[in-house]
Amino acid sequence: MRSVAIRKIRPYLYLVPSLVFLAIFTYFPILYSLYLSFFKQNILHPQPVFAGLANYVDVFDEKLFFTVVKNTFFYAVTSIPVTMGLALVLAIFLNEKLGWVRNIYRVVAFYPTMIPMAAAGMLAVWLFNPGIGLVNFYLKKFFGVSTIEWLYDMKWALPAIVITSIWKNFGYFMLIYLAGLQNISGELYESADLEGCGFLQRLRYITLPLLRPTTMFVIIVGLISSFQVFDLVYTMTQGGPADSSNVIVYYIYQYAFRFWNIGHASALTVLFVSALLIFIVFLVRTVERRVHYEV
Amino acid sequence: MNRKRLLSVLLIVVLSLSLASGAFAKGLVRITYYFPVGLAGPLATVMNEYVDEFNALHAEEIEVVPVYSGDYDPTMQKVQTAVQGGNPPDVFIVEISELPTLLAMDAIIPLNEFADEEYLADFFPAFLENSYTADGQFWGVPFQRSTPVFYWNKDHFREVGLDPDVPPTTWDEVAEFAQKLVVRDENNEVERWGVTISGGWNDWIFQGFARQNSSQLIDFVTKSITINSPEALEALEFWVHLTQELKVAPPHSTWSSTPPDFVAGRTSMLYHSTGVLTFMKESAGFDFGVGFMPANTTYGAEVGGGNLHIGKGIPRENQEAAWKLIEFLTTPEMAARWSRASGYVSTRVSSYDLPEMVAHTTEHPEYLVARNQLDYASGKMMTPIFQRVREIVKTALDEATAGKITPKAALDRAQDQTERLLRDWLD
Repeated sequence: MRSVAIRKIRPYLYLVPSLVFLAIFTYFPILYSLYLSFFKQNILHPQPVFAGLANYVDVFDEKLFFTVVKNTFFYAVTSIPVTMGLALVLAIFLNEKLGWVRNIYRVVAFYPTMIPMAAAGMLAVWLFNPGIGLVNFYLKKFFGVSTIEWLYDMKWALPAIVITSIWKNFGYFMLIYLAGLQNISGELYESADLEGCGFLQRLRYITLPLLRPTTMFVIIVGLISSFQVFDLVYTMTQGGPADSSNVIVYYIYQYAFRFWNIGHASALTVLFVSALLIFIVFLVRTVERRVHYEV
Repeated sequence: MNRKRLLSVLLIVVLSLSLASGAFAKGLVRITYYFPVGLAGPLATVMNEYVDEFNALHAEEIEVVPVYSGDYDPTMQKVQTAVQGGNPPDVFIVEISELPTLLAMDAIIPLNEFADEEYLADFFPAFLENSYTADGQFWGVPFQRSTPVFYWNKDHFREVGLDPDVPPTTWDEVAEFAQKLVVRDENNEVERWGVTISGGWNDWIFQGFARQNSSQLIDFVTKSITINSPEALEALEFWVHLTQELKVAPPHSTWSSTPPDFVAGRTSMLYHSTGVLTFMKESAGFDFGVGFMPANTTYGAEVGGGNLHIGKGIPRENQEAAWKLIEFLTTPEMAARWSRASGYVSTRVSSYDLPEMVAHTTEHPEYLVARNQLDYASGKMMTPIFQRVREIVKTALDEATAGKITPKAALDRAQDQTERLLRDWLD
């Protein structure tokens, strides 16, 4: 009797340490933000006063909020597909038998991922400098493109951040794809060879379908991380010029730690977390049905 | 068995160590000191050196623990978090416009009892303007202080037939010179800008332009907000004239990238802080000049930088120790040393008579420009929630220079947003 009870409880015991951490550092802050979002609290009113939904009304009252949401979507929609495509193509090539060259290429492609985000941001600031940056130098030399003002320009600041994030992240996605590729049984390719399949047919009928779980994972991770983009914005543009590269998390940061309007920042956080949650549930429900997990 | 013994030994060691340090700390006042430096790296080392010297002078009596806290923004965030957590730093430097926010948070103590008239009389008056409230209370001691100045590339001046030793002195001349200096390629794209008004802190430079037009944006003491005054509007129209009509100035830029732009010859004239003068001298491979920001109705500039404050709610002996540190850091000798190491303006009038300072400024007269400009300078605008006000003003400036909105609409909107944000303070 007792041993059965212990066996039932045991897995939960093992989960306790991580649950405690999650509770303290994730669930409690989320609930506390929800609580704070109903109070007015800022520098002029250091003592919180109950305000009902006033903070939420303020959020939607500010035009900038919609600009920030739009910018965040722009970032996600442009950076994820390109990063994934690049990562997939590279992973497929680097999975071929290329001898020692393969290892060098893997290191080269993965290298940007290992650079700390803040350092990458500072590096990008110099690369994108309109006057002395390498990006403009090569664009001019090879394509005859005349000077783009990049981070100085309301049209180009956000694309510059997107490009930097692609360069920074594709190595990580490539690694995940490589792992996915190595899970695909070699027997499948052998029989495909026997049937006389070419490279493209193998790609179309074996590789891509069997990579779907990996793709699903990459999409979810990519979406979450791109909705949370902060470091590159902080180091490269501080949201400027004129908020043309401001994104949700940076906007929340501004309200919380620069304007010290805790109520407003909490309302933003609650909206953001809820939106993210709904989005992920929706994604998992619709896409997961079409994913085969068994090989 | 073995492990238990190890544990108990460790426990004893820890206990005795903490007892020992407790005994040692008797009679020794330990204070924390948060400081930002605008330019990371070397200046933080200089500051640590000063603190070491202070600690050596007061061995067994005071120990200052210096905390390099990054840029101005992160420093203010650290101070705010520490104050809200009930554990304020004893002494700290933040950006001068943060004073009203510090007061609203009840984070600092007035320093009238420490600072006597004679001590204060030796500071440049413009630097003291951000230290007082209307009731005459004195809250912060000037430390790392600057004003924006005007840089010009003498080689470029020679190249287009301008006298390299005569910079523009009026707004009209800025526009006229910039048109001569700008260089465009075959597609009519700009390769070299005539003039650059540095972004990032362009709200600060814009305040200087309002001063040059005999106006100002915000008066803290009288609580008046005049961001959309006709004088300020004329200033912004001038910026839009340079960026959109003449296209001789970039509509936007960032604070950290324009000094390298100037050094690389990508712009011929530059508005930036005097704080980058040392960088320019070390990096520019050409002759350049430093002058007053050109005038419209008058010369004008707003001071910038950071002041030293003492935290509230700390023990009395900590406050006294903190004041000793402040006194040590602001003697004419130290002010002169810090000025030479950093390029900031020395805050003490008499420091410029010290032999080493005379030698320094005779050899490099450029370092005197910002000091001389102080005759035309005034306090920096400040309000509670200043960071938000800054964002409002910067967005108005950036959208106007991008041609997305008329200068009038931009400033009217900024005025309205600021009034609504601060309505509780204004009443």
